[in-house]
Amino acid sequence: MKKKILVVEDEEGLRLLYEEELKAEGYEVITARNGREAIQQLEVEKPDLIILDIVMPVMDGMEALGRILGKERKIPIILNTSYSGYQQEFMSWAADAYLTKSIDLSELKNKVRELLEKR
Amino acid sequence: MKVLAMVLAGGRGERLYPLTRDRAKPAVAFGGIYRIIDFSLSNCINSDIRRIYVITQYKSISLHRHIQFGWNILSAPLGEFIEIIPAQQRIDEHWYQGTADAIFQNIYTLQQERPDLVLILSGDHIYKMDYQKMIAFHLEKGADLTVAAIRMGREQSREFGVIEVDRDWRISGFEEKPEEPKTIPGDPERILASMGVYVFNMELLVKRLIEDTRSDSTHDFGRDIIPLMIEKDQVFAFDFRQGDRGGVGYWRDVGTIDAYFEVNMDLVSVTPQLNLYDSQWPILTYQFAYPPAKTVWAEDARMGTALNSIISNGCIISGGSVKRSILSPRVMIHSYAEIEDSILLEGVDVGRYAKIRRSIIDKEVQIPQGMEIGFNLDEDAKRFTVTGSGIVVVPKGIRL
Repeated sequence: MKKKILVVEDEEGLRLLYEEELKAEGYEVITARNGREAIQQLEVEKPDLIILDIVMPVMDGMEALGRILGKERKIPIILNTSYSGYQQEFMSWAADAYLTKSIDLSELKNKVRELLEKR
Repeated sequence: MKVLAMVLAGGRGERLYPLTRDRAKPAVAFGGIYRIIDFSLSNCINSDIRRIYVITQYKSISLHRHIQFGWNILSAPLGEFIEIIPAQQRIDEHWYQGTADAIFQNIYTLQQERPDLVLILSGDHIYKMDYQKMIAFHLEKGADLTVAAIRMGREQSREFGVIEVDRDWRISGFEEKPEEPKTIPGDPERILASMGVYVFNMELLVKRLIEDTRSDSTHDFGRDIIPLMIEKDQVFAFDFRQGDRGGVGYWRDVGTIDAYFEVNMDLVSVTPQLNLYDSQWPILTYQFAYPPAKTVWAEDARMGTALNSIISNGCIISGGSVKRSILSPRVMIHSYAEIEDSILLEGVDVGRYAKIRRSIIDKEVQIPQGMEIGFNLDEDAKRFTVTGSGIVVVPKGIRL
């Protein structure tokens, strides 16, 4: 069965890019535009992995990360952000990976594969 | 060295029911004027630890008021505080799952403070301890985690976390409530029990809490975090003898009504094990400004007396007799009433000719004229709680 990935990203262009690229890798992809939508998605969906942006409107990724762990303690989570400073925040340590956004998606894809294999 | 204390004060204290019906265990009255949590907080202040979070969850109103009224003693402009943190439900929408979960759920608060060391305490225990001695030991050993340990008879192992140490006091094993405990090297009759007092290096605490929260676990320091860290980190035991302010190895987890009764009754002995008179180690509490205790009537049959007892401010013993008992503030004993071996909490009123023995009467209860409690346990058990050793507990709010 296809592995399901939840992409949480507020920027539409990036969200579509990740969706296309990950589908091309053979994954099923569902999306959310912010942390609150991600948590709503988790009420009905059971993704195998979450890619989580940090700076988003409505509910940011750091807040969402805590709430997600409150519901699903074991789901692998990749923080995917343009900013490295959030590594100072303790909650970011709870993510399985902290990646800085890049045009080249190979690092992200590798990390996704690695975490799904580990699972 | 920046030290932050986190006092776990969310215990239900179910075995102390009905004393914990309306309040959390740390808020249960003790020794006339104290609440159980006063001991951990006083230890902090006397150890010069002045940044303290008290982590509460249910039935916390009584505790909040006590801390708000009695412990508003620190200087916020100097960065000192005793602050109560009710469950935020910012991460999990449920109650704390275990002691470690209670700290993990407050990770945002910990981040704001960013201390070097975190001192984790329980608000449930009665003892006098210099935490600075433990911190000095922690630093000297280069430890990641230090667990305070007290010597006990091996027969008590089923009630405590039992620590196994090597000659250097490095912890090599930890078992929660074992039947067959590992005893102290060279002392086969005694064990080292965990006192629920921990010093953690902050960063490692956060990392291990996260690891624990993402695994199948009961999220408890004793059951999960300590065993995990023994595998990976530098974990040491601190001998309570080195930090014991009382000097007699006194530490009590007042877990049951019977234990609560015994620990209180120790205080009315001629030389109690728990010394409350050490002016270098004062135990602070909150007290309303009641007038001093008073006895009145000195006639042959109507004599207001108190013998071998603790009588708090605001009490009036008016022609009744009190023996081997502890009276919290504002207790009224009317003429010809007889109180023996009992604990009467704040505002209790005992009517004329009433007789009470081996009982705990909770706050504000009015004992009617002539009533007898503690003399016929079968009768008492019909409306009150009676413990295995025959202590009667009359709960708060009862109308007699």
